[in-house]
Amino acid sequence: MSESSQINLATLWFLSARAMAVAGEEMPSVQEAATGLYAQAILGFNEEVCRQAKDNEHINNKTLIDCLSGVRQLPGELAEKILTGVMMISYADRKMKPLEVRWASMLASAIEVSPDDFQRCCVNARVIASMLRPHGAKS
Amino acid sequence: MSNNETNFKFLERFDKRVAQLAKQAEKYVHTDPDSCMFKLRLMVETMAKKLTNLQMRGDISQDLGAMLGALERGGIVPRRQADSMHAIRRDGNAAVHGSPTPIPTAMRRLKEAHKISGWFCKMVKRGSKVQISEFAPPEPPMPVDNQTKSLHGKIDKLEESIEQRRSATRESLLMFGPQENVKEVTRRIIEELKALDNVAAAAGEPTIDADFVALVMAMDLEQIEEDPRHGGDSRQARREAEQQLDTIKQHLAEREKAFLAERTFLLEQRKSL
Repeated sequence: MSESSQINLATLWFLSARAMAVAGEEMPSVQEAATGLYAQAILGFNEEVCRQAKDNEHINNKTLIDCLSGVRQLPGELAEKILTGVMMISYADRKMKPLEVRWASMLASAIEVSPDDFQRCCVNARVIASMLRPHGAKS
Repeated sequence: MSNNETNFKFLERFDKRVAQLAKQAEKYVHTDPDSCMFKLRLMVETMAKKLTNLQMRGDISQDLGAMLGALERGGIVPRRQADSMHAIRRDGNAAVHGSPTPIPTAMRRLKEAHKISGWFCKMVKRGSKVQISEFAPPEPPMPVDNQTKSLHGKIDKLEESIEQRRSATRESLLMFGPQENVKEVTRRIIEELKALDNVAAAAGEPTIDADFVALVMAMDLEQIEEDPRHGGDSRQARREAEQQLDTIKQHLAEREKAFLAERTFLLEQRKSL
């Protein structure tokens, strides 16, 4: 994958992740390194790609609709990894707010995952959340 | 600044123990930079414990790294102060584990400790006026020759470059870029989410099974892993994720080791002068 494709993909990840974090109304905890750790460890981006993805040039003009449209075009496995990461962030405080449920629902619809696959993503997210230990996650 | 003066007199009024540690660190900075780092680390630990007791509830780990993490997450320690406190913790730990501390590194951390101290005073006695003079580097007990001065210059440059690399790593890990206005971005996202929610609700789009999500959150991990529907997948996910996380953590730890090796290499040069 070219560097610019990687940056676009990383931008999609950071947008999806922040939408979930913001929907959870827990702003102090969103500064957690879990988002970046997931990006580097699970999605395989390097440091530079993660930094550039958050440059104004890449992220500032993108809306959540762009984000949904972007994940819809991803290969299934990759899209599921993003969905799993987003669910991991929602598990951080062990609560689900209505907007978090809605954002997860919209992402799942965009990716067109089956209910079974969605459940698998949720379980995997819960397992990873316990490993990364974002704010409040205790096992 | 002469040997009898101190940059930390203002601290005495707020916390005698912290003030004492700061003054000891200041005294050792030229003669024994490793001890200076021990004292600074202890000073930061004392500050963190005090802030934790004053401002946090619940069972907080007594490990300094974890304590600083909790204080930062709780919004009690701002990012800049947390960065300085972590830098002191890291260099203090390195000194404890036998990695020699160069004088310019100890001086840099002492200066950071001075900045943190001003903020700390305002945190422990809110509303109090704190008058802090600009940091005056303690003078060496003996004049420094040109070769040593040049070496100190090199070490200072190296420290600057290490800090830039650490900062790049940190920026890569966080959710927002350093140039972003987090409040404004958050406001925009909430607006968008609410608008999308209205559209989806109006279109009668079903939401995901919130009951299932609640159930997953309530379950113990052991139960999830034992569940025949999820067991295989979640165990596999755990194995893979653990391996991938270990790779990144190892990479970060190796980078820190490389920083220390670069620093030690420069110090070795001094011996050959």
